[in-house]
Amino acid sequence: MSLAVVERWVEAPLRRFVEDAQAVLALLLTPSGQVLAQHGFTRAVDVMSACALAAAIHASSTELGRQLQGRPFAGLHHAGRRRQLFLARADTPRGPYVFLTVFDQASSLGLVQLYYDEFTARLGDAAPPKANDTTEILAENFESELDRNLKLLFSR
Amino acid sequence: MSSSSPFIPSLEHLTRQRGVLGSLVVSETDGIVIDAVVQPSVKAPVVAALAASLYRRARQSAHAAGLGGVKYLELVADGGRLCMAGRDDLVVVLVTDTRVGVGLLRVELLRTAAELPE
Repeated sequence: MSLAVVERWVEAPLRRFVEDAQAVLALLLTPSGQVLAQHGFTRAVDVMSACALAAAIHASSTELGRQLQGRPFAGLHHAGRRRQLFLARADTPRGPYVFLTVFDQASSLGLVQLYYDEFTARLGDAAPPKANDTTEILAENFESELDRNLKLLFSR
Repeated sequence: MSSSSPFIPSLEHLTRQRGVLGSLVVSETDGIVIDAVVQPSVKAPVVAALAASLYRRARQSAHAAGLGGVKYLELVADGGRLCMAGRDDLVVVLVTDTRVGVGLLRVELLRTAAELPE
């Protein structure tokens, strides 16, 4: 399984999700687009693009949900002809993350939603508490952080 | 669930049978609930996702073995049964306890599945 993580605590919950849901691709990122873990990608540039797009879609759909119903949408599903996409927020004690997964006929939306709920619970249990000295990723160091994470994911 | 759904009368009829804990109409492809009449103890979205997956695999297995389509699928567990019958992408799923009269229920389930819209 081509699974790689930047932070170790993410690995077990993500591995379990990918196995249970039979996901083709999976990506965990911060709302700002910093990658934390990936499964199924073979090129860093694809992870970078997917993170940027997922963060943008998440920001747009969150705001759209707020405008329409006063709170963010719980998740977003897009059905393609052969592959489908599921995008949702995952809250942990360490902060919110964005989860993107792609699946095909081997799985289904119902299975992905079911195992996504279990994944977020496991992720919440595994997440270490947010460190006091954690600095928010600022615009000036965003690119260097992204490069560092991509190198971590694809150097093993 | 909306009471105006065309599935509700059939599902209510099935759920009134002795030993039936719930009945659901599920999309086989998506594994999501289309309509359901279930007791509070039945987790409809979870049952729908897993039962649809099971039914799909059974259909693929029957096809691979050259047996044609699946007419009826029954899973016997310690505490009851899951009974399924489908038409096109729709699957009717019954969750029962051990007191259920399987013969009559199977007839009712197959009748309901046959009446599903194409």
